[in-house]
Amino acid sequence: MNPIPISAEQSPLLFLELLYKLRVRDVMARDLVTIRRDATMRELQRLMQARRVSGVPVVENGRLFGIVSIEDLLQALDAQRMDEPVANFMAANVVTIEDDMPLAIAISYFNKYEYRRFPVLNARGEAVGIVTARSINTRLLVELFRELARIENQYVLPLSENASCYFQTFRVARSDFENAGSAATEIKNVLQKRGLDPKLIRRVAIAAYELEMNLVVHSDGGTLTFRADEGEIQLIAKDQGPGIADVDLAMQEGWTTANDWVKSLGFGAGMGLPNAKRVSDEFHIASELGKGTTVTVRDVLPPRPLQKPPA
Amino acid sequence: MHLNALLAAAQAQLCWTAPAHDDADALHVVAADLMSDVLTMDLERPLLLTSLATEQAVRTAHVVGAVAVLVANGKTPPPEMVALARKLDVPLARTALSKFDAAVALGRALNC
Repeated sequence: MNPIPISAEQSPLLFLELLYKLRVRDVMARDLVTIRRDATMRELQRLMQARRVSGVPVVENGRLFGIVSIEDLLQALDAQRMDEPVANFMAANVVTIEDDMPLAIAISYFNKYEYRRFPVLNARGEAVGIVTARSINTRLLVELFRELARIENQYVLPLSENASCYFQTFRVARSDFENAGSAATEIKNVLQKRGLDPKLIRRVAIAAYELEMNLVVHSDGGTLTFRADEGEIQLIAKDQGPGIADVDLAMQEGWTTANDWVKSLGFGAGMGLPNAKRVSDEFHIASELGKGTTVTVRDVLPPRPLQKPPA
Repeated sequence: MHLNALLAAAQAQLCWTAPAHDDADALHVVAADLMSDVLTMDLERPLLLTSLATEQAVRTAHVVGAVAVLVANGKTPPPEMVALARKLDVPLARTALSKFDAAVALGRALNC
């Protein structure tokens, strides 16, 4: 196992996974700016200015001979040797990196060596790209956003339809009336497949629907998490705001802050929270203004009848 | 009571159903436009009578285990509502009667 180049304790797992999942070829800059050994330092200067790079690998026919950096250029300028070939200034002892190495190794190179860029060679030894802190950061950010988007949008995969524990999280967007109720529908379908008592299924589906509608109508968006195991069913509605000013008031039947538009859709009657409580064995609500609200409801499952021993 | 007989009593036309529902029966009628109210009723296999011609009426019917949705007041369920009824497997019907008249007709049919 390669040492992880950054503190593992403070890095989210996702980030560490990315460091090993991504290869050097995924993060390297591919539009490689190169120069020939016989080019002059003056030509190098123009190239660097035109392409806005601070280091250029010296490559001919794919083969890497060295690397010249802005420091070499300054040296040539200072010594007034700008007409000399690049070969006289380049560093010939180049630390390179292979394109199929994990990103974690590439990052460790930045700690291990003083260099700020590493030419990348493919399996045939050809220069195919260059890795800089910038190319890594850019790619990592893109990948992290992509992963986050994936995690946010995914319906967490159930272990299996028949697994004893079932877990699923639904994202619920504010004012998304088009999809409002789809999480409750899904939850009901899962419970039906489990062959539970129809009365219990209806209770859970109603609680899920009420909580989901609350997220759509009142919250700035949130999640509805559904968990079922052998003993109980749990629903957790969690949002990021705006929070409820007076929870006791919100729990009163008929008290509502919904607008007419919501009411025209058949909701916002001020029955949601009390009704979710009515159809659950346990109900808990915590809310803070400006922070958000979390509602947890539980339904206890009746013990399964013991299977009859074979006659 | 047999669902189809009940719908016929309310002069309803089916917008969508499936053969699996041919023998369905309804034990109660819930008449409401406020879906919040429907969610507070504990009735076995109700028929949902409403003048709310939206997808939420179908969702609510599905959640409470209603055997069908009947849209009153001569409204025509929009295509999205019919599509959701198909998806959630909830028979959907409409009637030209007002909600009150439909409720009266359904009530008489259920009690006879």
